[in-house]
Amino acid sequence: MKKKLVSLMLVAAMAVTALAGCGGGSTSGGSTSGESTSGGSASGESTSGGETAANGEYVLSTLNIIVDGTLTATVDAGQAEFVAQWEKAVSERIGHDIKLNITQLDHSDYAGTVSRTLTTGQPGDAGYPDALIMSASMLRQYQNTGLLWNLADAYDNAEFQSRITLPNINLNLRTSDGKQFGFAPTYGNGCVTYIKKGWLDKIGKTVDDIKTFDDYYEVLKAFTTEDPDGNGSAGTYGVIAAGFAKYDEAPYINYMPEFWQGAYPNFYKNKDGVWVDGFAEDATIGALTRLNQGYKDGVIDPDTEEAGTKQAREKFFSNDQTTSEGVFTYWAGTWLRTLTDNLEKNEVKNAAGEPETLVQLPPIQEIKDTWGGYLNREAPTWVITDDGDGNDAREQAIFDALFETMLDGDVVQTLWTYGAEGVHWSTEAEEFTTNPGADNEKKYSYADGEFHLKQSPNDPNTLWKKNHLDSVLVIAPLTNGFVSDDPLITEGNQFFTENCVDAPAAASCDTLTEYEADIASKKEELVNKATVGEITPEEAVQAYIDQFGDISAQICEELNAQEG
Amino acid sequence: MSKTDNNGAGSRENKKSLKQQIFVYRGFYIMFLPVLIYVLLIYYWPMLGVRYSFYSYKLRDIHWVGLDNFTKLFGEKEFWLAFKNTLEISIVKLLLNTFVAVIISIFLNEMVSMFCKKFVQTIIYLPHFMSYAVVAAIFTLFLSTSSTGFVNETLKSWGWISSSIDFLHSKTMWRPIFYLINLWKETGWGTVIFFATLSGINPELYEAASIDGATRLQKIRYVTFPALSNTIIIVLILNLAKVLNIFEPVFVLYNSRVLEVSDVVSTYVYRKTFLTAVPDYGYTTAVGLFKSLVGCVLMLASNVASKKVRGRGIL
Repeated sequence: MKKKLVSLMLVAAMAVTALAGCGGGSTSGGSTSGESTSGGSASGESTSGGETAANGEYVLSTLNIIVDGTLTATVDAGQAEFVAQWEKAVSERIGHDIKLNITQLDHSDYAGTVSRTLTTGQPGDAGYPDALIMSASMLRQYQNTGLLWNLADAYDNAEFQSRITLPNINLNLRTSDGKQFGFAPTYGNGCVTYIKKGWLDKIGKTVDDIKTFDDYYEVLKAFTTEDPDGNGSAGTYGVIAAGFAKYDEAPYINYMPEFWQGAYPNFYKNKDGVWVDGFAEDATIGALTRLNQGYKDGVIDPDTEEAGTKQAREKFFSNDQTTSEGVFTYWAGTWLRTLTDNLEKNEVKNAAGEPETLVQLPPIQEIKDTWGGYLNREAPTWVITDDGDGNDAREQAIFDALFETMLDGDVVQTLWTYGAEGVHWSTEAEEFTTNPGADNEKKYSYADGEFHLKQSPNDPNTLWKKNHLDSVLVIAPLTNGFVSDDPLITEGNQFFTENCVDAPAAASCDTLTEYEADIASKKEELVNKATVGEITPEEAVQAYIDQFGDISAQICEELNAQEG
Repeated sequence: MSKTDNNGAGSRENKKSLKQQIFVYRGFYIMFLPVLIYVLLIYYWPMLGVRYSFYSYKLRDIHWVGLDNFTKLFGEKEFWLAFKNTLEISIVKLLLNTFVAVIISIFLNEMVSMFCKKFVQTIIYLPHFMSYAVVAAIFTLFLSTSSTGFVNETLKSWGWISSSIDFLHSKTMWRPIFYLINLWKETGWGTVIFFATLSGINPELYEAASIDGATRLQKIRYVTFPALSNTIIIVLILNLAKVLNIFEPVFVLYNSRVLEVSDVVSTYVYRKTFLTAVPDYGYTTAVGLFKSLVGCVLMLASNVASKKVRGRGIL
């Protein structure tokens, strides 16, 4: 009897433990993977929250957002302080307490994870976002699904309207029937070509010598064969990029613009206003021919084929320059500072033993003659999920708490632009040193009341640069006078602004959504094969037409029908 | 208690109805209950998701499509290529890994020095504990065609080759390299089961063979190998049921240029599900269901084979 009693008690304990485990699963996490910071004190509080008050007004008590890597105040870089200061400032602004839950997803699988989250969840579920970031391509894919809220009226009536300096960025997001599902707080930015100045000096060239593709190619060849790093042996390359092209993210050609020139390996609206499939055009054959020549001549680092952006970047500013490259096309503005900082951090020296620096290459003639300049991608957007109840109260409350405050010109906009006060930036007098004791030691000294950025929370040897919004790209500037006056970032932004044109609008229709992954996968295979010389450029384009010709025609038909 | 007594007691128990038996052994049944609940919740509840293979499931648009997903699947050239690759890659990998593991086990068994034996065992077990992601990163770097590629640069400096060999992007070289990497990583661990069998061989058999004048090779041929053969067959049979599950080693090493020879069913499903902006979960569930059915057939075939070889099944 005693044994039975003991066994019964054990069974009961096991059952309670097992069921408690099951129960716990329903309130934690949701289906998304990523790091999250919550202002709440318990995980159960991450459920989206709000209720209608006695006066009929919707009270949003919890705001769940999903972000990508563009929120640089990550969990290990002061996100908790950012959230705390946001909650304080926004609670004061909207007149009641609000908690912010941030789920930051892995940047490289952002679109996929968002898709799974939106598919498996419902508004109100734990982990289901009230608002989230979407690229222009994603916005086009989702805007007709009914999952997103039409925020056109809220945008038109927003308080920040009077301070907007770039109204067209958001007006361009509107559909033909006047709906607007995304909100772009900044314009898109784009990539420019950076060249190591020390390498140029070593081969006896300046950036002004590079006007055409031939000039550019000559420099790449010299970087490959003329020992630009001065170590006395071969091993260097002209250029590296994260892939010969991007196949799933507009504007597709921005990592190797000199090779692609006027070609655009995706659907775009041509000069006549007609949607066409750029991959099937002759210009693609020309681009593949140039890539193939570059690969054959060894001026393109073979690692380009498989490299992600991180690998390409790190090889470019690696402390081992003997296998590095002289040219790297990457994001403009803040990235000029980041790349330069990394060269400095890795103590990269030129052949003369001086610290390596970067120069920006103005668009070559072939780019100017076709696009007109480097491509400024369509602005990434924020969207609000629609709960589908036919009442806009919840969605308007999200707009007011998140978007209105994001561009308030003052406290909250500063949080989104520079991060948390006292963590990422300060106006108090202070002195600090980066890389103390090293060759590249730098001392910083600021007076009381002087706005300045602090050391990065996750890397005290570098200065914090920005948070989510770029102060230069934002559509409504800060009004509190807080400006980071980094001359390199200013120079980078100014250079891009002077040398860019808007990228073609991303295409979206049902057939494209269905086949996009297959098409992108095939293009990647064909471009890689043509570049390394397994097939000719003509064969690559023909193989694409043979497999996707009919589907491509159908996509163009649907896209052009939308225009009508 | 004698054997007869046991049997007698057993037959008396069997005469009781199921209800009575459950009542008699209610303690055990109650103890089993949490396990049953756990299995149902964790293993069987998710299986209800296979119903989506008969639906179109894109974002919130879920509607019944009957067998459309299967019709589409059977018409997909890409799927059948992945299916063929799965069988080829898995079976060759299984045979190679087993064969090499057997050879290494026999060599280890023949080693006289215990120190050397333990040292070699430790060395060959280590790669098993590295994740495939790390293994892929190491070999990709080693075999790169860039100037950072150790193998190509070494071969070039020795004058054996004039231009780099693109090991991991060549359709003819990808599979051999893949098998080699798998051998490097998994063979050591694969020797554990064979080595255990070898340790259990009666030493008197070797003594008897020595008295009969058998050489070392003859002892391996007539004593060691027959003792291992049953284990080899069991290992092959047990692994046969899992051949369709291959994913990770392929996923971390394949690339767009070698899809034709490297794409397997799991990587096909991965691409269709996770690399598509708005995937049709219905279709990918259908692929998964088909894979499970084939896996089930292989499992049953393995069970039959096991019964024939060992006298008992694996189920």
